[in-house]
Formats: sequence, C-alpha cells, structure tokens
Amino acid sequence: MLEVESLNSGYGKLHILQDVCLKCEKGEIVALLGPNGAGKSTFFNSIMGLADVFSGSVRLDGEELVGLSTHKIARKGVGYAMQLQGVFADLTTEENLKASAKMAGINYEEVLPEILDYFPDLRRFLKRKALTLSGGERQMLTLSISLIRSPKVLLLDEPTAGLSPLYSTKIIRAIAQINKSRGLSIVLAEQNVRKALEIAHRVYLLVSGRIIFEGTPSDLSSREDLMKLYLGGESK
Amino acid sequence: MFELFMTFVIDLLAFFLIYLILNIGLNIELGYTGITNFGTVFWFSAGGFTVGALATRLGAWLLNIDTSGMDFIDDNMAIVTKINGVLKGEPLQGLMLLILMILIAGVIGAFLGVLMSIPTVRLRADYLGIAFLASGEILNVIGVAYRPLVGGPPGVAVPDVWAWAGEWRFPVATFTIFIFAVIFLAYAEYLVRTPLGRSLRAVRDNEFAAQAYGKDIARFRLIAMVIGSTLISISGALYVLYSQAANPSFFRFHWTFLPWLMILLGGIGNNIGVLIGTFIYNTIYKLIVFYKFALMGILPFDVVWLNYILLGTLILLILIYRPQGLLPEKPPKIRLERGGRSS
Amino acid sequence: MTLVTLGTIEQALAYSSILSFLAIGISLLYKTTKVPNFAHASFATAGAYSVYSISTILGLNPYIALIVAFSSVVLMAVLLFIVLEPLRRRKASTQMLMIATLAYDILMYGVLNVFADTIQALFKIPSRTVTLMRFDFTIAGLRGVLVVSLILLSLSAIILYLILNRTYIGICLRASMENQALAESIGINTRVTLLISWIIAGGLAGLGGGILTIWTQIDPSIGMLLIPSMFCASILGGLEEIYGAIIGGFLLGFVEIIGIEVLARSVGTWVTPYRPAIPLIILFTTLLLCPKGLVGPLREAIRKSWRRG
Repeated sequence: MLEVESLNSGYGKLHILQDVCLKCEKGEIVALLGPNGAGKSTFFNSIMGLADVFSGSVRLDGEELVGLSTHKIARKGVGYAMQLQGVFADLTTEENLKASAKMAGINYEEVLPEILDYFPDLRRFLKRKALTLSGGERQMLTLSISLIRSPKVLLLDEPTAGLSPLYSTKIIRAIAQINKSRGLSIVLAEQNVRKALEIAHRVYLLVSGRIIFEGTPSDLSSREDLMKLYLGGESK
Repeated sequence: MFELFMTFVIDLLAFFLIYLILNIGLNIELGYTGITNFGTVFWFSAGGFTVGALATRLGAWLLNIDTSGMDFIDDNMAIVTKINGVLKGEPLQGLMLLILMILIAGVIGAFLGVLMSIPTVRLRADYLGIAFLASGEILNVIGVAYRPLVGGPPGVAVPDVWAWAGEWRFPVATFTIFIFAVIFLAYAEYLVRTPLGRSLRAVRDNEFAAQAYGKDIARFRLIAMVIGSTLISISGALYVLYSQAANPSFFRFHWTFLPWLMILLGGIGNNIGVLIGTFIYNTIYKLIVFYKFALMGILPFDVVWLNYILLGTLILLILIYRPQGLLPEKPPKIRLERGGRSS
Repeated sequence: MTLVTLGTIEQALAYSSILSFLAIGISLLYKTTKVPNFAHASFATAGAYSVYSISTILGLNPYIALIVAFSSVVLMAVLLFIVLEPLRRRKASTQMLMIATLAYDILMYGVLNVFADTIQALFKIPSRTVTLMRFDFTIAGLRGVLVVSLILLSLSAIILYLILNRTYIGICLRASMENQALAESIGINTRVTLLISWIIAGGLAGLGGGILTIWTQIDPSIGMLLIPSMFCASILGGLEEIYGAIIGGFLLGFVEIIGIEVLARSVGTWVTPYRPAIPLIILFTTLLLCPKGLVGPLREAIRKSWRRG
C-alpha cells in the first residue's frame, strides 16, 4: 500500500528524518506518534514532495513517489490534511470542497451527502468563508477537502491539535468511521496519544527524526518507559 | 603611448578604489548584517551633493577669498577658478579642505543611515527593497529640481583639492583615495573579527541567539547602517572631489546595481571577494569604453548598451549558477536564504 | 476660478489608466510570487516600442498594433518566468529573486536601447523621443487614446474578474495564489498557474506601454521613469490587491497630474520639477504607515461597520 523505506529528508541543509521506515497496508489506520518537533510534519511533507528527500523511497501501490512534483503525487491518490493552513481562507467552505472535488474529477453534488454524513456540522457553515471558521470547524473542512477527493491513502497531520475535547472526539470518531466504511488507509499523526491509540491498528513512535518503536497500540501502552519519556505518561 | 596607458591605468585605479570603498560599506550592510540595501545611490549622492554644495562655499571661506557680489551657483566656474588658483600653492589648505569634506560627508551619511535604519526594522525584505530603491531616487529629484543645491541639471564644478600637485594631480589624487580605501578595508576586516562583527552575523543569519535579544536586532541593524552609510557617502564625496564636478543626478545603474554586481561576483560577505569582483567588472567596463571607438563602425547601435546587457546577463548567470560568488570559502559566508525577514 | 482644466483631467484619466494597466500586473505577480517585479519597467518600454515600431515600419494603425504589444510583452514575461524557474526551484530567497528581476530589467534596458538604435539605422526612422500622437482620433472633443484606454482597462478588469472567478483555470490560479502547498495537494500544477500569471501581467503591461506611445512621447527610459509611479500605485492599492491596483493607479495619477497642476497654480511653477518626488514620497509613507495598502484595511473597516450596523 504505502511503503516508506529508509527515508532521509529535511529542508535544505537541515537533516530531520533519519532512515525512517513505515508501512500502511490497505484499510489500516497507522498512528505516527511522537513529541513536538520529532518530525511528523516533515514526514508527511516528504511524502508529498514538499520537503527535500535526500535518500530513501516512498511507494504507493508499488509506484515510486520520490522525485515527483506534489500535484502529481496528489493525483496518484495521496490525500494530505495539513496541520496549519489546510484551507483556502478566502473561499467559502462550499467553494473549498468544490475546488477539491473538481480537481479530482469528482462530481461535488454526488459526494457531498457522504461528506456531510461524516461531518454533519459542515452543513451549518457551508456558505461561510473559511477565514471565519473556528478551529474545530476548520479542521473538519481540512479533512473534508482531502476526503472528497477519494484518495487511496489519507495523511492526517494532528487533526485534533488545539481543539476542544468535544471536537477532538467528533473528529477521531469520524476518522474511524471513514476508515471502516470506506476501507480508506490512513496515516494519522497525533499529539493526543490516547485517542490515537483507540482507533489505530498499528503504531509508530518517532523521536528526533528516528522511528524507535513499531507495533500495536497495546504493545505501546505496555511499554511504560516509552510512554513516560515521550508520550506524556498516558497509557490508557 | 606610455603616458596614455598610465593615464588609463591611474583612472581605472581611482574608479576601482572609489567603488571598493562603496562596496565595503555595502558589504557591511549586506554581507555582514543581511540588509539588502537596494538604494546605495542614495548615500552616494548624499556624499556627492555634500561636496558639490559645500566645497566651493567652504573653500572660499577657508581661503579668505572674496566672493562678494558673486553667486555660488551662477558664478560657480569663476569662484572655483579663483579657489583653484589659490590652492595651487597651498597643499595644506587643500588637504584640510579634503579632510573637512570627507568628515562632513561621513557625518551626513551616518545621519541618513540612522534615518533609513528605521524602515529596516519595520519592513519585510521585499517591502524594504522597494523602500530602498525609492530612497535612491528622491535625492536625484531634489538634485535636479533644487538649483541652489548643486546647480540643477548642468551641475557644478568643485574646487580641486589636489591643485597643488600640479601635473601629478591625478596620481596624487588616486593615491589619496588609495589610502582611504586601505584604512576602510583594514577596518572592515577588523570588524569581522570583533564581537560586534559576530553579532551582526548573528542578526543576518536570524540565529536563535539574536532573536532572543529582540531589542538588540534593531540596534545592530542601526550600527551596520551607520557604518555602511558613512563609507558609501564618503565614496560619493571622493568621487566628486576626484572628478572636480558634481552631477545633479547619480544613476542607479552605476551606483546601486554595479556595486551589487561586484559584490555578487566576488561573493557576498567576504572582502577579498569584493575586491576581486570590483576589479573584474571595472576592468571589463573600462575596456569596453576604450574599445568603443573600434566597435563603433561595425555595429548599428551604441556600444555602451552592451554594458547593460553584459551586466544584466552576468548577474543572472551568477544567481543561477554560482550564487555564492567566485570566492565562497572564506567566512563569514552569506547564504541569502529564506528567513531574510526582519523580526 | 477654475483650478483645473478639462485638459488636465483628460491627462489625469489617461495617465491613471496606463498606471493601472501596469500596477495590476505588479500586484498580480506579487500576490502569486511574493516578489516585486522590477522588470515591469522593461515590460512597459517593450510595449511602447512594439507599438511604435510596428506602426511606423508597417504603417499599421497604432490601436491595431496594440495586439502586437500585448504579445511581445507576454513573450518577455514568459522569458523572465523561465529565467526565474531555476531560482524558484532552489527555493531562493525573496532578495535573490528581486535582484534577478532587477538584473533582467537592466538586460532588457540594454536590449531595448539596441532595438531603438537598430531600427533607426535600418529603417531610417527616429526612435528616441518619439510619439504616435498624430495618429489619434477624437471623440466628442476628447482624445481617442483616453477613451480607448479607459474602455480597454474596464474590459480587462471585467475579463480578469470573470477568468479568476468563473473559470476552472481562474479558480486554480486563485487557489495557487492563496495557498500554494494546499493547491498542489489537491492536484493543481502551480507551475502552470504561475506561468499564466506572468502571461496576464505581461499582456496587461504591454497594453499599458502601447497606449503610452499614443498618449505621449516615449524613449527607451520611459519604463524606468515610470517605475516609481507603477510601484506606488500598486502599493497604494495594496501589493496583494489585484483590483486595488486600479484604485491606486487612479489615486496616484490624479494626485500627480492634478495635484501638481493645482500646486503650480497656487504656489508657483517651481514645484513642477518636483513632480517625480510625489510617487516616491507617497510610496515611502505608505510602506511605513500601512504597508498592506489602502484597499485591504478599507475593506476590513467596511466589513466591521456592516456587522455592527
């Protein structure tokens, strides 16, 4: 499905990721956890061609993505929900979604109901400019923009960052639902460890640019040393 | 024949040295501190105008020359001739006038540097570039429009502070400029190695340490602007003194773009590079002018335009293929990276 | 007492529309690339000389030659796009890109001068301080160039609006301008949209420059002389406001022409040579006091009062 092998990447002279390996099989939710500054965003940027890849490979269904331009990677089926600035602020919610659907050659009217199923709140602010949305609303829109394109794999960069518990739950639940009903592969980077472990099938721990753990959520929870050191000590 | 060659060489040397001083000043602002000063012509003009406006008046006053009934602009030629007549036999007075002019030009340059350092703190790199370019033009407008300054469009003549040297005037003048250049170059090299120099570099590279001392970034930019502006202004003063005439408008091309090219050629941030870049371009330029007459019959256009085409192409080639310049290894190295924003 | 004559108003309108054509391009490019394009000076000059040379050499009506002006400056703009590509791919800083546009401007200045000299030598026509004013017509007592430029400007603004807001390519353009990374992430090829921005900016500059020839005397330095005003108009409107450039253009155009006229009448003609200082001073002040220009903050103020009321 999505295979990242020995990825070394960064920005310009800054070397951030070191020999990172990650796999996301079809229909899986893979959680990428790690403290702030570990390189989670860089990881996603590297896959999307928004960061400089020094060596390594990224393959989607066997096809090499490294070296392709970002829009080509997007068209091959990688969806990316950015942590910050994931919406077109000057456009309305509806225009945002329409633009995304149109670029993917998808009929907006047809897929809208499904999106609204996952995020019923969207209905409230369809006609409002994205600029005016609250944090939670904006995140829902960011997710929907990627979702509406029917990607093969979805990269979610800290979708619950800075959100209230209410919105965090809504979003995490929606993610789980999307995965189950569509069988969509998802790589989820999260600071909210507990919620991520609830829905993930497998987990990677990224610290200072390296993967130091790979396994199931329960495996990670039982590793008290790692939990305490890097993940704020929460284990349930 | 030899004399012609020597004249060519000495003239080339004088221009090279004047540019060198200008470039050292620009380098301190750009190379050391990361301030992209696209308006060096502003300070160059300031220095030039200082001499143009004051040299005659001060010269007459210093030498006790009677100028009653004469106007400094209308009777400019007459007064200057009088002054030069006296200066022929007064080397000390000539030197004093020179030093005085340089000092005043330096102070005015420094003052204008303080003034223009305010935008450097408040504006982003792109807006700042526009602001600097605009500043360069303002003095030109005033110079042409306000006649009492430097005589409007025709300009004014300026006393010859080296009149006492007689037929050795040009070599002596060039040698004087050489002394100034050596002093400033030595100072610039010294500055690099001081704590101040390191602070400037920290500001340029937007280093974390510099950011932690937020307030001081403004202070360091100010210092860099003051030092740089003083030098650039002095170079303008020397240019006018050397040419014995002040123009009302100094061209952006010659005194902003060319300095930038020379610095880019040699490698921003490093003084030896500045030297080499300045030398290379000046030689090419003077050669083009020299051989202009040979080429004139063949081409349907004025050869001087080749200068612009050459300059533009050279800068583009450097930016695309060798942005670090010819001598990249010498520290402190400049990397014009993303992050050239002011805090 | 009439402080202002009709003739002066005509001048102001014509000048303002020319400035607007040029300022729109600068704002559009800045919004897309975040780089002030100093080569716009050469774009204007190239437009002017395209119309002049085609009209004089081939005997075409200058208004028809505007098409050539449009195309030739588009070419010049595309060439600059190509030159900047390696820098852009390297993620070069804004400073470097600014220097690059400056260098390209100098290069083109030389080329345009060579062009002027060459056509003079080859076709035995004057090529400096020339104009095509004599080919103009009059409509209802007004100079044709004024009417044509206002109509063309309005048409251009409307067409631009329609393109940007109603077409597929326009939406892609707006998306890329606003958030490049996100645009790419939904499959938009921002390199193509960037190229299109250059084409639009170049074309509009070509039109502005072409009209310049019909309106007044031109010289290879005409672009350089106008660049402070172009940038001032753009900055007044707001460097990121495409239509704001038109507002800035008219604001500055009127201040420059009518303002100086009024001043000259009231305090004396000695103010006239200071006219070039006006755009410079306004530019400086605007950058220091409200660098985002007037249109943005104005829009915010209107929006706020709407909400309150």
